[in-house]
Amino acid sequence: MEFSAENKIFSVAEFIGLLNIGLKKSEVKIVGEVGQVQFGPTGHVYFTLKDEKEPGLISCIIWKSKYMLYGIKLQEGMKILAFGHPEVYAPSGRLSFIADTIELAGEGTLKKQYDELKKKLEQEGLFAEEKKRPLPEYPQKIGVITSKQGAVIADFLNNIGKFGFKITMIDSRVEGQEAVSDLLAAIKTFRKKDIDVLVIIRGGGSMESLMPFNNELLVREVAAFPVPVVAGIGHDKDVPLVAMAADFSESTPTACANLLNESWEQLLLFLERCERNIIVRYEAIFDRYLMMENKLKIFFERFKAVLAAVGQILERAEKIIFLNNPERQLKLGYSIASINGKIIRQTKDAAVGNMIDIKVSDGNIKSEIKKII
Amino acid sequence: MIKEKQDAKGLSGNLKRLNEITEWFDKQEEIDVEEGLLKVKEAAELIKASKARLKAVENEFEEIKKEMDAEA
Repeated sequence: MEFSAENKIFSVAEFIGLLNIGLKKSEVKIVGEVGQVQFGPTGHVYFTLKDEKEPGLISCIIWKSKYMLYGIKLQEGMKILAFGHPEVYAPSGRLSFIADTIELAGEGTLKKQYDELKKKLEQEGLFAEEKKRPLPEYPQKIGVITSKQGAVIADFLNNIGKFGFKITMIDSRVEGQEAVSDLLAAIKTFRKKDIDVLVIIRGGGSMESLMPFNNELLVREVAAFPVPVVAGIGHDKDVPLVAMAADFSESTPTACANLLNESWEQLLLFLERCERNIIVRYEAIFDRYLMMENKLKIFFERFKAVLAAVGQILERAEKIIFLNNPERQLKLGYSIASINGKIIRQTKDAAVGNMIDIKVSDGNIKSEIKKII
Repeated sequence: MIKEKQDAKGLSGNLKRLNEITEWFDKQEEIDVEEGLLKVKEAAELIKASKARLKAVENEFEEIKKEMDAEA
């Protein structure tokens, strides 16, 4: 807004409005000890922050919606870090610091808060092993929450296999208390989307930088998320509570990608094995067929030989029968002489006066022996 | 199928009987003309039937073999 202070006459409210426009640009982080704390009827929290060493006091307000986010119950004497901007409240002319975020400050405080929340959620069973869900057998639709800045998303995408994944990403801040609202909004958005797995990834960092991932609301959202959650949140010594509530916790974005690839890679190996088996077995069938064909050829040759042998047997039998056929002998002019049915082979078989039967081709001749020479 | 089996068995049976007849002739020192004639007649019929069957078997076999060669 351009104006000339010399020419313009402001009303008090206008002037305060003008001041507030300028003050809003003065976003800062201030650290101090919490003094008096008052919870308004609408849920907003009014408190004072005082300097630890020198005289200094400022009134602060944190709106209910923000206060609920950070899971910190403000108490007198607590050392906190507040991020926000100053503002003049027009009706009273009082200057207040409007805190957008608050976080605990001071040596050991973060660790204490972490330990207490961890214990509480543990007792509720949020990290229980039996609560962990397996990944779908072949996950396809992947929701990713991370910052589009930096190498994390690149690492993930470079390592995710080409298995037809459908990846949807929501950009979110992943550092500092400001990240909490982004992360919660992203999770809520993914709740309405059709995904098989939710992946939350960021790079490693100190406990301070990972504090959003120890936010109670966020941890509860992850634990109650409708599909399995894979957390790839780098950590220092203390595992972020979001990672503990997730169904899978990996150390790096690459490890998350590998986890999603795993079943597909196994499937690929299985299919390759099947392919090899089919080829080998098919070749075996073909070989067997060739072997059978060869056997059949040998059998054919043998059978042919058998048929030839049968033919020879028949020819031989025919010859023998032909040669032994008595009718043939008779037709040639030979006759068979017999006395009382006994064939005469020698002269001693006959005597003069015997009646002799002579068999010829077309009948018998009866005659009497007159003389034996 | 049953008929083929019977035919095959018939051919084998015929050969067996023919063998018996030829052996009979081989062993006879004195041939009984009447019996010899009967055996000749039986053998002639067996030979005729066997030759016909053998021809049929050979033809069928050749056809199968041709088909197999054509498929290969």
